[in-house]
Amino acid sequence: MRTTINELNGELVAAFEGRLDTAAAIQTEKDVQPLADCAGKNIVLDCSALEYISSSGLRIFLNVLKNAKAKGSRVFITGMSDDINKVFKITGFMNLFEFR
Amino acid sequence: MKVNELKKRFVNIYRRNGLLVFIIAVLLAQGTAVVQHLYAKRSLRNEARRRAQTELKVKNLEICNMLNSIETAVDNQVWIVQSMLYNLDSLNNWGDLTITNIDDIVGCGLAFEENFFPKKGRWFEPYTRRGATHNEHAQIGGPDHNYLEAEWFIEGMKADGGKWSEPYYDDAGAKSMVATYSRPLRDSTGRAVALFFVDVSLDWLKQLFDVDNPMEMSVLVSRMGYILAGPERVVSKYSLYDVARMYNDTLVEAAADSMLAGREGETRVQMEDGSWASVHYAPVEDSTGWSMALVFPDNVIFSGLKQVGLILNIFFLLGFGLMIFVMWRTARNYKELQAVNLEKERIGSELRIASGIQKGMVPKTFPPYPDRDEIACFGALVPAKEVGGDLYDFYIHDEKFFFCIGDVSGKGVPASLVMAVTRSLFRTLSAHNNSPEVIMTLMNNAMSEMNENTMFVTLFIGILNLRDGTLYYSNGGHCQPVILGNGKTTPLEIEPNIPLGVMRGWQYSLQKIKLEPGNTVFMYTDGLTEAENIDHTLFGDDRLIQTLSGAESTPKPLVQRMMDAVHKFVGNADQSDDITMLAVNFIKKMEDLPKSRSIVLHNDVRDVPQLAAFIESISESIGLDMSATMNINLAMEEAVVNVMKYAYPEGTHGDILVEANSSGNELTFAISDSGIPFDPTKNATPDTTLDAEERPIGGLGIHLVRNLMDSVEYNYIDNKNVLTLKKKI
Repeated sequence: MRTTINELNGELVAAFEGRLDTAAAIQTEKDVQPLADCAGKNIVLDCSALEYISSSGLRIFLNVLKNAKAKGSRVFITGMSDDINKVFKITGFMNLFEFR
Repeated sequence: MKVNELKKRFVNIYRRNGLLVFIIAVLLAQGTAVVQHLYAKRSLRNEARRRAQTELKVKNLEICNMLNSIETAVDNQVWIVQSMLYNLDSLNNWGDLTITNIDDIVGCGLAFEENFFPKKGRWFEPYTRRGATHNEHAQIGGPDHNYLEAEWFIEGMKADGGKWSEPYYDDAGAKSMVATYSRPLRDSTGRAVALFFVDVSLDWLKQLFDVDNPMEMSVLVSRMGYILAGPERVVSKYSLYDVARMYNDTLVEAAADSMLAGREGETRVQMEDGSWASVHYAPVEDSTGWSMALVFPDNVIFSGLKQVGLILNIFFLLGFGLMIFVMWRTARNYKELQAVNLEKERIGSELRIASGIQKGMVPKTFPPYPDRDEIACFGALVPAKEVGGDLYDFYIHDEKFFFCIGDVSGKGVPASLVMAVTRSLFRTLSAHNNSPEVIMTLMNNAMSEMNENTMFVTLFIGILNLRDGTLYYSNGGHCQPVILGNGKTTPLEIEPNIPLGVMRGWQYSLQKIKLEPGNTVFMYTDGLTEAENIDHTLFGDDRLIQTLSGAESTPKPLVQRMMDAVHKFVGNADQSDDITMLAVNFIKKMEDLPKSRSIVLHNDVRDVPQLAAFIESISESIGLDMSATMNINLAMEEAVVNVMKYAYPEGTHGDILVEANSSGNELTFAISDSGIPFDPTKNATPDTTLDAEERPIGGLGIHLVRNLMDSVEYNYIDNKNVLTLKKKI
């Protein structure tokens, strides 16, 4: 699992690559720390290379979202695969995030 | 190789025989020429001999006539002379009379015996010589001319009648060869008292022998062998013996002896220039004792033969030339034929290679899956030509048996190319699609696009699920397959779809049927039902069904039974179309996983990847796709992580056993631990409609498990938490 964060066009873009399972979530939680400081910037979670996500991963996404909302930022998800989309549907996360 | 060898041998025989024929022809021609030459030579020689004999006879006759006329004339004078014998005065008159009476004489005289007229002395020989105007008279006897002792006189007096002397050359008077004919005159007592003689010029012989004829040379010789007449160069100068000496030739000498002995004959002599000649000789049949000879030089006799030989040889050469030309042309034609044959052979060998490549495109190792007991199949493809347009193919993927059978319109190389394309498309497209109608539609689109020669393919694609025996199939205008089972033959229902390559965009329909274990699907191309016998009767559907009825459903014997039936039916007729059959026998449903598998994990989330690998291996062994694998994986991870978090207090170690079991179409997982009893199913379902701010961080895991699995069950057995998850597949 690899996470890279870049600032692009005034947005913070976090790209996830690989399997975000419970084991990987410990490291990923640390990797997304920079997103906490997002005042005035929207966040994009790029899932185009994300192969798998478990509830631990979903929790990380939810934490990012909660923090961003508190700071008045928006969180967008891009490039989600059908399988991950299904997980989002089951868990109702479809209603929480904005997609583009 | 064998054909080549035969061909080589034929060429050798042809070449050797050609040469042989030529040699025999030359030998025959030459033999004929030699025989012809010999016969011609012999007949020419015979002809020459006949001519010589005729010539000699004619000459003989002329000479005899001439001499006889003289002899007769002289004989007629005798009585006159005898009556005037004692009248000396009349002697001159008598001489004139004789010369007048006998044309050819140059002179005549009387030689009296010694002292016949005492007045006249010992010698008395009155002689009359023919002159131009008048005759000369003289008494020529005397001591200078002592005729009394001359042989002609003595011999002439002795003779009974007339006698011819040896001819001599008369320098003084006639200037020519002269022969003397004498007759003794007798007194009343019958005693010979004088010799009456006439000198005869032999000039007339010249005309007879000095013939201006290059074909021959003729001579007349005297009794003594002197040449009396003949070519100017030899007359009167030589005797025959001189000639023999000149040539140093014993043959000539022998011939001369023979001639002088008055015999008739023929001899061969060599001429001055080395050439040979035939000499024919014969005596003059008169008292002269003369003999004649005719010489025919060979090169004169055979000059005609030489010309004939020359002409013959020219014809032979022309003939041989013609023969060589014909042989050369034949050889050239043969070479051209050979070149055509080579080209044919090249195409033939390419076709054989193509045939090999094409045969390699259809599976031909049977049984194809010796270690599988769910499926058996057998296929046979008999092309009518080296290459054909029929195809079949099959393979197993994801516990599914993919197969197809097809027939490209037309035959030969064009059909074989389309066949290759069809087979490749089937392999490529079926690798990513499990639906026959989709594969069919995609194949049709691809083939319609590149179909410039409007060739089409009838195709049947089937995908048999080995787990449950469901056959998914799609038929593109192909012959209706037949299902064999329980001793019955049932045609497989097919929907009317068009063949591939005809119309782009056609949506092929999917059909399915549940096969019972033991069922066999028999597929074939129309080459089977349309096989013709010599009466042009088709094998037909009835015979097909008849042959299938009662046949055992094992693919190989089934196909072979059908093949035997069609071969027996067709007999000696030519195979007009490719014949292809494919039989697929569904033996039984694929067995479940042979045994359950398990894994032991620690209560550490870092073991989660191990769980993922475990799930993946199970998923692979039963042929689940990626999406299903991921769902099961997610549910299992959530369940196991839940156990890790709640069963064992933090800081303590514990194991978690995960067992997987597959039965029928259900996959069962049991997760057990010996930690604190805890029933996760009792957790309340989270409210997924809440906003982000209100959503709790936990509770998602078990929610996912419930949603992704078909059933979740918790039991506490033998001091163990056992969570059982089930999923239909």
